[in-house]
Amino acid sequence: MVSLEVGRVCLKIVGREAGKVCTVVKKLTEGKGKSQPFVLVTGPKLLTGVKRRRCNIEHLEATQHTVLIKDDASDEEVIEAYKKSGLITKFNLKLPSAGEMKAEKTKVKEEKPKKEEKTKEKEEKKDKKKK
Amino acid sequence: MKKIKVRTPGGKLIIKRRKEKPGVTLCAMCKEPLHGTKRRIPSKIGKISKTEKRPSRLYGGYLCAKCTKELVKEKARMI
Repeated sequence: MVSLEVGRVCLKIVGREAGKVCTVVKKLTEGKGKSQPFVLVTGPKLLTGVKRRRCNIEHLEATQHTVLIKDDASDEEVIEAYKKSGLITKFNLKLPSAGEMKAEKTKVKEEKPKKEEKTKEKEEKKDKKKK
Repeated sequence: MKKIKVRTPGGKLIIKRRKEKPGVTLCAMCKEPLHGTKRRIPSKIGKISKTEKRPSRLYGGYLCAKCTKELVKEKARMI
């Protein structure tokens, strides 16, 4: 088996992203005893559809291709590395348009309401029911 | 509706009707029953949402997870 170093192009085997191309960005933990080895993986999402996430090594299958990227590279850097390597035509991938890239940048994550607020609401509801 | 003949304690032969369900869906490669698929009559399967009918995976509802895993592994070695 090929080792999973930074820049290795892989296929995901398990889950809803199975069969999609992704690249290893960072090594997170090495397996010792019962703990399992994990790596940070990204498609990037705009290119292949794999979200940037932590992934078990057993859920990946390495290909013979690599991409030149730094350790812990951002998604835009990975996309540029793909452009230079010429893997896009090989895997039949679609390059994201400039508009999509901008939209991804300006996306603001919605903050989830804190737990304390939820409990307060519940208590209020309970009080109403008692009345 | 399936018709079944039943003999009652009084000695009569009675025809009872029972609803029929389609069979369990099997994996196309290993022939084992699939998880996450529902058994319904074709007229009622339209009412179920799409996510309840099959797992949202590559070949979901057609191959089992083990078989897809090995298929994709072979594909990765060919690329």
